[in-house]
Amino acid sequence: MSNREQYKKAFSVLQASGDFTLGDEKMAVLKKKAMLRTFAAAACACLVIVGSSRIAYAANVGGIQRTIQLWMYGDQTDVTIDFDGSGNYSMEYTDADGNTRELGGGGFDVDADGTKRALTEDELIWLLFEEVDVSYNDDGRIMLYFQGQVADITDKFENDICYIFLNGTDLNGTDASLYVTVLKAEDGGFPIDSSPDRYLQYKETEPGIYTVY
Amino acid sequence: MRLPVQDLMNMYKNNVYAVAFSICKNASDAEDVVQDTFLQYYMTHKHFDNEQHIRAWLLRVAINKAKNIQFSFWHRNGMPLDDYIETLSFETPETKELFEEVMKLPEKYRVAVHLFYYEDYSIKEIAKILRTTESNIKVRLSRGRAKLKDALKEGWEDEQ
Repeated sequence: MSNREQYKKAFSVLQASGDFTLGDEKMAVLKKKAMLRTFAAAACACLVIVGSSRIAYAANVGGIQRTIQLWMYGDQTDVTIDFDGSGNYSMEYTDADGNTRELGGGGFDVDADGTKRALTEDELIWLLFEEVDVSYNDDGRIMLYFQGQVADITDKFENDICYIFLNGTDLNGTDASLYVTVLKAEDGGFPIDSSPDRYLQYKETEPGIYTVY
Repeated sequence: MRLPVQDLMNMYKNNVYAVAFSICKNASDAEDVVQDTFLQYYMTHKHFDNEQHIRAWLLRVAINKAKNIQFSFWHRNGMPLDDYIETLSFETPETKELFEEVMKLPEKYRVAVHLFYYEDYSIKEIAKILRTTESNIKVRLSRGRAKLKDALKEGWEDEQ
């Protein structure tokens, strides 16, 4: 048996076990998760827990349910969010066309000693409230969504990087403007990093791998 | 051209999983990479020349995501590699030993070896996928083969 034949036999035992059903609804959930994951990664170690005076909430069985107004792709809407207490959430809202949408996600923070901990409800809401979304619209334009703002940033990329300053507020209504850096990645995605102080920079440390500094 | 993502999953999910596993050495992380890779395809508006172009793109995205996940806080504490290997159904003890030895290779050799022997890519194609030079890939393959020969003795044929 040749090396190649033997190698193929050895590695053919690896079979993906996941049940990957990829309908549009499922993809929308996964997309939201992926974006929150990116945002949570950028925000880890510098999270600030804020009060939730503007959030109505009620305890439910096995977790916490809250109703909050969030900007969803440029539309402000009431969203009911269920938290499982382990850093995960699921939410339901009605989009601009009147369709009921379900999304979900979760996140972890890394404490100073390197241990992981699930984000609290307040931290997740904080992230969702300040989340920046970038995606293609139906016309193939690259659109940025942040709170009530929608911007066409298609022509703002230089060397595949777009810098944009966004005026915004936090949950307390105080200024929370962001310096946002959007990378047009070769794999088609849009990694986003932001800071209240300066534009973060991307450096390609090895082919296809970018480090933020 | 574009192909339906579900069709691509049926065709390539095991290939994506295998290359991701060869980097992560962790089934849970490799499963995440599979999902994220096809999600990336779903989200991108990129157009491809042909099916082979899509396949190479999927593998490159999977490799990058697998490398990233190792350094992220999303890295899962999955089953130890040795325990996971015991759950796999190898045809012969020799193929199991080969699998174990490949997993011991340094990552950059392991990925090149995998793309060459499992995905049947040429040195030129591997260089393109990994965004490096052909001479670099030749070195990685040569060193990877030498380590496998050293470990497996008669279980691995000499090659140029």
